[in-house]
Amino acid sequence: MKKYLSVVITGLVIGALAVLLSVLGNPANMGFCTACFLRDIAGALKLHASDKTQFMRPEILGMIIGACGIALVKKEFRPMGGSAPATRFLLGMTVMIGALVFLGCPLRMVIRLGGGDLNALVGLVGFAAGVLVGVLALNNGFSLKRAYAQSRLEGLMLPIVAVVLLIGTVIVPQLFNASAEGPGSMHAPLLIALAAGLLVGVLAQRSRMCMVAGIRDSVMFKDFKMLWGFVAIFVAVLVGNLILGKFKFGFAEQPIAHTDGVWNFLGMAIVGWGSVLLGGCPLRQVVLAGEGSSDSGITVLGFVAGAAVSHNFALASSGTGAGANGPAAVVVCIVILALISVFNRERK
Amino acid sequence: MRYIGTFYTHLAALKSARALGREGHIARLMPVPRKLSASCGTCVSYEAEEPCLQLLDADMEAVYRVLGEDDYSLIRRGEDK
Repeated sequence: MKKYLSVVITGLVIGALAVLLSVLGNPANMGFCTACFLRDIAGALKLHASDKTQFMRPEILGMIIGACGIALVKKEFRPMGGSAPATRFLLGMTVMIGALVFLGCPLRMVIRLGGGDLNALVGLVGFAAGVLVGVLALNNGFSLKRAYAQSRLEGLMLPIVAVVLLIGTVIVPQLFNASAEGPGSMHAPLLIALAAGLLVGVLAQRSRMCMVAGIRDSVMFKDFKMLWGFVAIFVAVLVGNLILGKFKFGFAEQPIAHTDGVWNFLGMAIVGWGSVLLGGCPLRQVVLAGEGSSDSGITVLGFVAGAAVSHNFALASSGTGAGANGPAAVVVCIVILALISVFNRERK
Repeated sequence: MRYIGTFYTHLAALKSARALGREGHIARLMPVPRKLSASCGTCVSYEAEEPCLQLLDADMEAVYRVLGEDDYSLIRRGEDK
């Protein structure tokens, strides 16, 4: 029972915070989303031109700083890197493109489910299918090769960037783009959003919370610990939405979602497959980047680049359906994942 | 004796488990216990008279003897440079 406690508590807190942040200003069913918030940060940094998705999200900066702080305190900060960085960058881009076709990372998928959005159920089936393909690759000798010890500065690079961006947000907010309308314009107060990010970063570092590990470990090792985190987030969001009267069951007219099942399925399949190859979901990559993994740091930068490409080249979906070039991007992403899975296999 | 070997890659854990299995040891893959690492890699839990270091992949990170429930003793740490 004790084994499950930290991951269940983390899941319940993340779920409760997601509901709270939506009440305080974040978009509905998007109280917390690693992909959406990194996409907003890409917009804030003027890396893409979508004027509805630009905001320097304190939740992400807080997560990196929180994970880094607790790892330092607990003497678990471990600068490691050098495991196929270019491949990881490309995988990060691919995962983000898939997430923005679905409109959310695996965490938002569960939050959407807790809000009654059945499109997320289609996404969940796609996500599980993608994870299974990734597990198949792992069982057939896939490896991005090992990481090696790095300098302390290399491990601290992304946390330092997060601190600088946070200071910039407070002192010179006009430096960054901020949407006047759309999801980017909707946000909780800075201090609350930052505190939520810090708390999630700390809890996720301690519990190793990972949305991909829930399904991957269940399939590979019959270990269901992480799956309970998944369930805990869902229960907390569901209960929160029911209490607040915000639960809306069905496919149509869900907040920041579309009803095209094919692209919901395939978008999340890409996220599941790519995340298994990377060794963790987007939330986990952000936390690992905080605790010193420069491989995860480069992956997070890949997420940001993927978000910029998604919006600059009309790959991202909107409430009306897939982007103009979204279907083509999905095919390209699947080809990229297949090539990376096959060509990184160790041959005997 | 029960041992746990942790590795830098999932593939190294997989190869080590197979090598241990070929020599007749009971070996299974599982997530690395939280107490041993903040990372979320794959480890090999195996039964043997000795740690069988020669059967473990070169990308071995560390080997522990299992003393009890969530109680481990470090036997060997691999190179991280």
